[in-house]
Amino acid sequence: MKVIKKLLTNPTSLTGILLLFAFTVIAIGAPWIAPPPENARDPYMIPRDGFSTTPELPGGEHPLGTTEGQYDILYGVVWGTRTAFRIGVVITIFTAITGLTIGSIAAYYGGWLDEALMRVTEIFQAFPFLLAAITLSSVLQTIYGRGEAGALMFLAKGLALITFGSNPMKEVDPIQLQILTGMLAIITFGWMTYARVIRGNILAVREHEYALAARTIGASDMRILLRHLLPNAIYPVLVIASMNTGSYVLAFAALSFLGLGAQRGYADWGQMINFARNWIPSLADYWHIVAYPGAAIVLFVLAWNLVGDVLRDTLDPRMRGKGGGL
Amino acid sequence: MTTYIARRLLILPVIVLGVTMLVFAMLSLLTPYERASLYVQDIPKRQGAIEGIIEKYGLNDPIYVQYWKWMVGQRDEDTGEIVGGVLRGNLGWSQTGKSSVMVVIGRRLPATAELALWAAVPMIGIGIALGVVSAVHHNKLTDQILRVFSIVGWSIPTFVFGLGVLMFLYARLGWFPPGRLSDWAAQIVQADAFTQYTHLNTVDALLNLRFDVFWDALKHLILPVTTLAYLNWAYLLRVTRSSMLDTLRQEYMTTARAKGLTEAMVIWKHGLVNALIPIITIGGLILIGLLNGVVITETIFNYPGMGSFLAQAALSLDVVSVLGITLFSSTVLVMGNLLVDVLYGFVDPRIRLR
Repeated sequence: MKVIKKLLTNPTSLTGILLLFAFTVIAIGAPWIAPPPENARDPYMIPRDGFSTTPELPGGEHPLGTTEGQYDILYGVVWGTRTAFRIGVVITIFTAITGLTIGSIAAYYGGWLDEALMRVTEIFQAFPFLLAAITLSSVLQTIYGRGEAGALMFLAKGLALITFGSNPMKEVDPIQLQILTGMLAIITFGWMTYARVIRGNILAVREHEYALAARTIGASDMRILLRHLLPNAIYPVLVIASMNTGSYVLAFAALSFLGLGAQRGYADWGQMINFARNWIPSLADYWHIVAYPGAAIVLFVLAWNLVGDVLRDTLDPRMRGKGGGL
Repeated sequence: MTTYIARRLLILPVIVLGVTMLVFAMLSLLTPYERASLYVQDIPKRQGAIEGIIEKYGLNDPIYVQYWKWMVGQRDEDTGEIVGGVLRGNLGWSQTGKSSVMVVIGRRLPATAELALWAAVPMIGIGIALGVVSAVHHNKLTDQILRVFSIVGWSIPTFVFGLGVLMFLYARLGWFPPGRLSDWAAQIVQADAFTQYTHLNTVDALLNLRFDVFWDALKHLILPVTTLAYLNWAYLLRVTRSSMLDTLRQEYMTTARAKGLTEAMVIWKHGLVNALIPIITIGGLILIGLLNGVVITETIFNYPGMGSFLAQAALSLDVVSVLGITLFSSTVLVMGNLLVDVLYGFVDPRIRLR
């Protein structure tokens, strides 16, 4: 309760929360703000107004103009809000769970298992992040392109269910599949901080009397870990998670910008800016193809960072008193 | 400290080997046909052409055989010589770069190094200075402006910032073009009369007394350097500020003031030096990142460094190139981390003793 009060009274986090609230309203209201064409197969594919390559300036039928290929920017920015929320939140949840599982197993069991898991963590950390994510998502795209069912397809279906709410009994939509590859790549190479932090914290709380007491009365490993150790070690993880949501959105946008994340024409901010790469010499005329989707990303990430910043000051006692309002 | 370094050095090859195995494992998910497609430009005219490629590159071998061949090389059927093999200093043939991976690194690394060199000093210097200023003026207007500057900078994607500066300074004003050199300057650099001592264009131009080339090279560097600097300032400022705030509250700061030292002396000598540890970590990580090539920045500014090559190679699933570059990058990363840890010992005697 104290935390929520602090978040709502601090001007920094209040700005962030208001921004997030605005984005939520846009995300929910997308079908009314930018109604999809009547016979649209997928509302997330930006409707096109012709096929001319030259972008059109804002005005008339397209308040924010169109990109190359006549994709409507306003539509893309509005529906892109949904994509950004989904990507940010789902990636954060999965990286945190993966990191938590690995870190707590390593810390609780110790010994060779700890040693082995920590070496694996180090290996993942020694792999430059963006290189790893680019490689894995291009590999995954090829594999999923084959359309064979397998363990990986099972994984994709699970992720699709959580991200898009799609029916796991049916084939995954290829458009969604491409987004899932980018997300999977970021999740695979994004969990290490959580693992290290939670391991360190559990090692610290493991020695407390209550852990020993639980063991004496015969509680199982699982119970001690889940009921006694994790809750006492988890705060920093919440802080990292809130601060990381923004950077996951940035990472995914970078993948999209390189042409890996979302498919051409999908309502995703990074993908929309990808169009601008062909227009660099004439950006002075076509500023709008960068400015609007760019502003959307910056504000969205900024909102998460503002909230995360204050959350860190509040939840992490070592940081208490250092923040000060903006 | 020595035992610690020795232990880390021993574990270093294991980590790097682990990374290459990870890459291999990822790429082994592809079928031989998918991997062979890299070497095929058009639809093959002859039947069995793809099978020939699979045979030639051994793509059908079990994954551990392929890894072994990549590691120690393989015997040529005709001559009986052993060719290739990382352990023999051969990283293989890069299809993306159309030459051996070593040659590609040799060609691309100077470009990236030049960028890193020009970016590092202003980036780290100004980032730390701004952080100290922010901490000293804690909660005053300066601090608040700098905090906004930092958190906004931290939220801007590299490519949005990069395209933004290109929009104004290149597309509108035409001051700073993308790329590494203009055509005329590239011709001079390639000519025999111009000696390439270091392959860093700015340095070579000065050594050859070609100030026009120097100016041209510098003009191409300004935008990527600004992009890298701004985004990293934001981060360094944050870290320096919070570390400095911690230090400023210590009692030895009061002591230093009580001794009658000037305020500048107190802050920069007693304060900053004690606040350096987290700053070194972050500064070190940023530098390592720069040396490994900055994928997005180099891609936007069409800068021919390690990062843009890496993006190309990974996008076209060029296994050999990705492996080679990963081996290089992860070695730099792990070595860099070790160096940072050793640096702690110099900065903080308490750590050295442990």
